[in-house]
Amino acid sequence: MPEPTGATPGPGTGRRIRRIAWQLRVVFLFAALAVLPYLLSYSQQEIAVLLVINVLLVSSYRLLTLTGEWSLGHVVIMGVGAYASALLTKRLGVPVPLSMLLGASMAAATAAILSFPLFRMKGFYFLIGSFAAGEIIRLIWKRFTDPFGGPKGLKRIDPFPDIDTGFLSIDFYEPVNYYFLALIVVSASLFVLYRIERSRIGLTFHAIHWQDRLAESVGVDTFRYRTLAFVIASFFAGIAGGLYAHYVGAVNPTRFSVDQMVYVLVWAIVGGTATFYGPILGVVVLTVINEIVLRALGLDTARPLIYGAILILSVLYLPNGLESLGPRLRTRWQRWRSGSAAGRREAA
Amino acid sequence: MDLLWQTAVNASYAASYMALIAVGLVMIFGVMGVINFAHGELYMVGAYCVVFLYAQESFPFLLAVAAGLVFVGMVGLVMERTMFRPLRDNPLAGLIASIGFLLILQTLAVFGFGRRMGHVPPSTQGKLEILGAVLTYQRLFVIVAAVLLLAALWTFLRRSKFGRALRACAQDAEAASLQGISMNQTARIAMFIGAALAGVAGALTAPLVSPTPYIGHSIIVTAFIIIIVGGVGSLEGAVIAAVLYAFVHTFVTTFFDGVIANIVGLALMLAVLVVRPTGLFGAKERA
Amino acid sequence: MAALAQRFGRGPQGSRVNPQNERPILEARGLTRRFGGLVAVNDFSFSVRAGAIHGLIGPNGAGKTTTFNVISGFYAPTAGQVFFRGLDISGRKTSALAAMGLVRTFQGSTLFQEFSVLDNVRVGRHLGARAGFFRRLLGADRRSEEKADAQAQETLAFFGLEDLADEPVSNLPHGHQRMLGLAVALAAEPEVLLLDEPFTGMNPEETGRMMTLVQGIRDRGVTVMLVEHDMRAVMNLCDVITVMNFGALLVEGPPEVVRNDPAVIEAYLGSATADGAGDAA
Ligand SMILES: Nc1ncnc2c1ncn2[C@@H]1O[C@H](COP(=O)(O)OP(=O)(O)O)[C@@H](O)[C@H]1O
Ligand SMILES: [Mg+2]
Repeated sequence: MPEPTGATPGPGTGRRIRRIAWQLRVVFLFAALAVLPYLLSYSQQEIAVLLVINVLLVSSYRLLTLTGEWSLGHVVIMGVGAYASALLTKRLGVPVPLSMLLGASMAAATAAILSFPLFRMKGFYFLIGSFAAGEIIRLIWKRFTDPFGGPKGLKRIDPFPDIDTGFLSIDFYEPVNYYFLALIVVSASLFVLYRIERSRIGLTFHAIHWQDRLAESVGVDTFRYRTLAFVIASFFAGIAGGLYAHYVGAVNPTRFSVDQMVYVLVWAIVGGTATFYGPILGVVVLTVINEIVLRALGLDTARPLIYGAILILSVLYLPNGLESLGPRLRTRWQRWRSGSAAGRREAA
Repeated sequence: MDLLWQTAVNASYAASYMALIAVGLVMIFGVMGVINFAHGELYMVGAYCVVFLYAQESFPFLLAVAAGLVFVGMVGLVMERTMFRPLRDNPLAGLIASIGFLLILQTLAVFGFGRRMGHVPPSTQGKLEILGAVLTYQRLFVIVAAVLLLAALWTFLRRSKFGRALRACAQDAEAASLQGISMNQTARIAMFIGAALAGVAGALTAPLVSPTPYIGHSIIVTAFIIIIVGGVGSLEGAVIAAVLYAFVHTFVTTFFDGVIANIVGLALMLAVLVVRPTGLFGAKERA
Repeated sequence: MAALAQRFGRGPQGSRVNPQNERPILEARGLTRRFGGLVAVNDFSFSVRAGAIHGLIGPNGAGKTTTFNVISGFYAPTAGQVFFRGLDISGRKTSALAAMGLVRTFQGSTLFQEFSVLDNVRVGRHLGARAGFFRRLLGADRRSEEKADAQAQETLAFFGLEDLADEPVSNLPHGHQRMLGLAVALAAEPEVLLLDEPFTGMNPEETGRMMTLVQGIRDRGVTVMLVEHDMRAVMNLCDVITVMNFGALLVEGPPEVVRNDPAVIEAYLGSATADGAGDAA
């Protein structure tokens, strides 16, 4: 079930208890996330960094899907952020954190321009249109060696600058340190995305999804709001791209191809897009399966096959995603408990 | 002048196999209402049928092509039964599922044949000279086969009971089922034909393209451009658009380069989507 | 009939707005809309006075919904113009027209089915609850949102739906859904409200309530234009009735004139669906 609106305030104390419980959960989550990298091997730490970046990628994608449109260009938009940030540092000497912001703005601007052709389309046509637009951008990177580096892309991108203030020195070449950097940036971004969804803007996005004609007839400029969703989603995809570029140090057109987009789709669909946490659940679960289980079993080449099978099976048998599993199990558990309680009563 | 004429001959070859692919895709869309993202991989599977039967096992080329047609048609039946039928009222889900299927086919091809290009020796050596332009028999064969297959399909759709049912389902599935047309039966036939067309295109062109497991990507991009320009759901539109696109693409490739040609093709498709979402040859206005 | 009019307070005559030198609030001139070869609306002209309840009737397929779609900006007119407060608004965007005060409802229960009742009306308050992007982000829109919510509650109360505020729309019976559709439109504070078959599928009791509500809306100063097949409701509510047939104007006049017009009777007998309930599109 979608939960588009702010939670209706319950009676006083119950609400306070719920809020405290919620805050506790957040504190626990962050504590766990802070401890996590120290439990991982070096290569697993590297994966954790990418996972955190992908969480932002898929969460930003979800914001766009709130309006009911599914894009196939989101990974390319991430690439725009990555390329822009990399080029700004390489060519113009812009310092790294600033270049990331500018790169994200570039991704947002690209989305704003693309809105004019793309939002004349809906549904399937938007999907195909976004695919075409993304491919054009990617082919431009591929074709124009100057400045984009052609098929080989850009290499030796400036890393995130080390922090060295005498008593505190952080080297972001270390995955653990970059993990914390990404965690902070991504958490802040997720917070903003969450606020947007919980505000009237989010309500309007949902309204456009379910009945765009009705929304339009009470004064919602659906084109503007679709554009807004697209621009915001692209900005944060651009942030993810910047985080990626300055971590890995290289970008190329293939890294942002449709195949990569398929993974984002899989995460979003397997997780479910009705709730904020659905896609995050999807990317975390699938990454863990992928990196831990598949790698341990030596099934690396089979990875696309398994992803493909998961995609088909979840579309067929879990159409509302992993997020729908929790509530479903809970009701079944409650039914089972009340059932067995009734049974006990009968026996007594 | 020579180059222009030669390019036109080359474009006719490209048009012929692109038409096969696009008509197959439109056929599936028309009846099932879902865009088959795995269509490029069906082409790839057809090509690997020839790699396996003809290049590796030395069966006659024609037999390998026929086997490719039938085998890929059957893969289409599997897709229909396992994915598109259960997801019939949800086109987006069908599309997503076909992306999953695409990944599976790709990986299976990697398992079976490796990542590298499969080499297929030509089945004939000769070539034709038409007013100074060269056309190899291999390519001529593709053109002839495509024309024959499309003509056969056209006759089949006009004359047979299935053809009428197919068109009825494409226009209005509900009304068709009220008339006693079996949706499942029609879908099966459409899916078989649609997939088989992609497969036979792959099989026919295998000696000319050096297939890889990832060749489907460029195929599906091409097919999308063609069906959008032709108007989704119009078989005739797909054929016309295939010819149009093949000429544009071949000429731009010859006089600029392949990547620019792809960009031009995609831009053409975007332009059509913006100006006339129903395609240049599609229905004028939708209810 | 007379009894009904009494029950609802004012009869149609009593509420007639003074027609003298009133500039029409909404006017169509030579409006035409084609779909391929089909002419759904054909050189159609009418004008609606401010404060009126103006009926638009005609057999199924006459072009009423298409007329609404053109007026409200969903379709561009093939020819002709629409004037709102004297301004040529033909071809403007629906949302821009809503911002000017021209709002329409839909045939059937077009609602945000997945939302609660209150959230439906909150979306209806869209125009009245403007705030910048960063204000929303920072939660600085709290005051205006609380006001919008209060207004949404008020609108619900006007329709007697306040107790159902937190219900999901899909749980509502049909009649309530139709009223909610009206509530959503009214929340946008229209000057002119276009209602497409508000009484369809309602039982007599619900129809009666709905009629009171429509009158109440007019009494709030909103001009109402109404497409309806329920002749009793139309004749009782409307000050003026425009009858269209085959996309063109047939007759226009007060209810008692329209009711007895031979051309109107002919048109309805011809189509044999004087109060046809099911009406596609
Ligand atoms: N979008 C459309 N495309 C094609 N024809 C349409 C469309 N909308 C309405 N029509 C046709 O226009 C005519 C008028 O329809 P409509 O305005 O819905 O009539 P009414 O509301 O008076 O019953 C009908 O013949 C209908 O089929
Ligand atoms: Mg109507």
